[in-house]
Amino acid sequence: MNITKIWYDELRTVFHDVGIILFVIILPLAYPLLYAYVYTPEVQRDTPVVVVDDSKSTLSREFIRKVDATPDVKIVGNCLNMNEAYAMIEQQKAYAVIHIDRDFETALNKGRQTVVGLYCNMMSMVYYKCAASACSNVSIAMNRRIKVNNYMRPKTDREAEIMATPIDYQHTPLYNTQSGYAAFMIPPILMMIFQQSLFLGIGMSMGRSREQNGGFVIPLNRYYRNSVEIVLGKMLFYLMLYIIHGLYAFVVVTKLFDLPQLGHYWDFILFFIPYITACCFLGMVLSYMIFRREDCMLIFVFMSLPLYFMCGLSWPGSAIPEGIKYFSYLFPSTFGLNAYMRISGMGASISDVSFEMKGIAIQTAVYFLIACLIYTKKLRKALHRQT
Amino acid sequence: MREVIARIFRIGLREIGIFSHRPMYLFVILIAPLLCLIYFTQIMRSGTPDKMPCGVVDEDNTSTTRSIVRILGSMQNTDIKAHYGSFSEARKAMQRGEIYAFFYIPRNTTDKALASRRPQISFYTADTWYAAGSLLMKDLQMTSELAGLAVTRATLSAKGVPTSLMMGILQPISIETHPIANPGLNYSVYLNNIVVPGLFFLIIMLFTAYTIGYEWKMGTQKELFEMAGESSTIALAGKLWPQTLLYCVLMTLIDVYFYKYQGFPLNVSLIRILCAGWLCIFASQALAVFFFGIFLTLRMGMSACSLFGVLQISVCGFTFPLTAMKPVFQYLAWISPLRHYYMLYVNQALNGFKLVYAWPSIVALLLICLLPLTMLFRIAHAFKYVEYKP
Repeated sequence: MNITKIWYDELRTVFHDVGIILFVIILPLAYPLLYAYVYTPEVQRDTPVVVVDDSKSTLSREFIRKVDATPDVKIVGNCLNMNEAYAMIEQQKAYAVIHIDRDFETALNKGRQTVVGLYCNMMSMVYYKCAASACSNVSIAMNRRIKVNNYMRPKTDREAEIMATPIDYQHTPLYNTQSGYAAFMIPPILMMIFQQSLFLGIGMSMGRSREQNGGFVIPLNRYYRNSVEIVLGKMLFYLMLYIIHGLYAFVVVTKLFDLPQLGHYWDFILFFIPYITACCFLGMVLSYMIFRREDCMLIFVFMSLPLYFMCGLSWPGSAIPEGIKYFSYLFPSTFGLNAYMRISGMGASISDVSFEMKGIAIQTAVYFLIACLIYTKKLRKALHRQT
Repeated sequence: MREVIARIFRIGLREIGIFSHRPMYLFVILIAPLLCLIYFTQIMRSGTPDKMPCGVVDEDNTSTTRSIVRILGSMQNTDIKAHYGSFSEARKAMQRGEIYAFFYIPRNTTDKALASRRPQISFYTADTWYAAGSLLMKDLQMTSELAGLAVTRATLSAKGVPTSLMMGILQPISIETHPIANPGLNYSVYLNNIVVPGLFFLIIMLFTAYTIGYEWKMGTQKELFEMAGESSTIALAGKLWPQTLLYCVLMTLIDVYFYKYQGFPLNVSLIRILCAGWLCIFASQALAVFFFGIFLTLRMGMSACSLFGVLQISVCGFTFPLTAMKPVFQYLAWISPLRHYYMLYVNQALNGFKLVYAWPSIVALLLICLLPLTMLFRIAHAFKYVEYKP
């Protein structure tokens, strides 16, 4: 029953070390709340935009009024010329300029096509998306009306409707129904936090034992004699701790910030236990590099962003180069982020994420073996030194 | 004065000596930022993600609907990956992560369109993949709009309207978008200009706090304080100058790589954006000293730096706008070097605006650089009396 003793040992070490408590308990509990709080406004509304209306006609004013009425854009000024508008962009009082041509109304009345210019500050894609979609939606609506009223001569209201859109269409955003930022950022961030905090916690605990045991990675007492027992004992402790964190993220954080929640507990648990196990084993392998307690922060903290980009959620997986895609299979986060996102946010069952689960299973096995090998080597060295 | 410089120099040499014993240092401050630089520019080398997997459910399956699907397939961002027999099959494929969106054409669409009974087609995007969802949405909306316009076009030509007048009727108002300075909507330009410096500043903050706290950990803080002639300013200046030089060289490398090699838009001279980068390096170091001064322990100093350094990548507002965040983050952003770097980059490199409009950021950065002054006394006290606590 050495495993339970090692398990208890790890528990005692962790709860006596404020540094490790910070990483494996406070960080996984507090960071999700912090990040959810950052992104809860979900959407950008009323992006400030200025107008240069050279046409000054009824139709151009209608266009401007309608753009102003969209939720994404707010017209904050009417400039006389482009120079004035450009100055507004420079001062960041507006992020886009809508330019309406002098012959806007004339062209429309004569049946010619007219062009509305949209000039956008590209500091953020979100501003561009707001301005562009507002203008294009308004132009589509006005085009329909102009088409029907000026050229089609409908006899009834229903006919007008049919002429405006002979084939009607409808867009439904699935799973993230408000196209919000939090619903897309937070679920993967939760899983990333778990992996990184495990790396940090295990790394710091490794640094601690190396500092306390004169460079050895394990305490020199009689429980620590079998590397499989050491690896399993340590892993069991973190697994038990993180199941609590996992349920906290899956239930409390999701509920608190109204994130989409379609997953079933059973699917979540079936996914989460292997995921954390794989993270634990990889953490033990990586902690081989950690010689001093605080080194773990230097190495693991900055990794989270590159790892996040590799998993193919914010940067679409189809656009990730092959080489990086295969490299990303080395980390549990690649599979974990995708699987969790689909289980909790899209109601996927465990068989829907079978590719990810296979990846995690292979990782668990491989990293378990490597961790055992490392500990065997270290054990031999320690025993050799002792005798 | 000469003696002060000699002391700073000597402490710097001692620091380089410490560096040479720890290969990990080299990895963290030299290799890691360069790896990140290459990694991020490689992952986004296509600029804009195009040809993203999309599904089609064509229950009608007539020549008309097939031509609609062909139009969709020819769009830049869309790659029609699969045809599904029913809505739920397509939804399941979405849950498996095979497609980001799908187009749904119900039975009798062609019939209804020909009989003027206004059929409805629909498209579904999984906005859990935000960028993929919104890029595909644009294509799908365009295709749907074109499907309707094709019917109108047929009606009009049956009524004898000549082709030359057609565009003025079908699309009287057309929007011409001019994304200033990034006309190709290149995501690599948009993201990497901030992500890479953001990670670099994070590493700088962590490493600065680490090297300072390391003296306490090794129990050599008193020795250092003596070398500095009992002045915390000299001790810190001596400790930090070798790193600062290295950071400045690295920042130069990053900028040269971005603007000369990758061809990212640069509308001012390189030296201006370099100055902004260097100023932000100093501010990051200053902030790290400030955090260390507050806690006076290695662990807490580094924790504060990592918390702030990671958070500022979100809070600087280059993906989700700062103006839409809660007010508390808008205040926090004032002490974020990355936020000011972002403002300076947008003002200078991206757009080449007048520098005068960026003065709040420059002043804020200079003020951040002065923050450690408030902590010098505390750190001097710590040199004498505080011992390392794990």
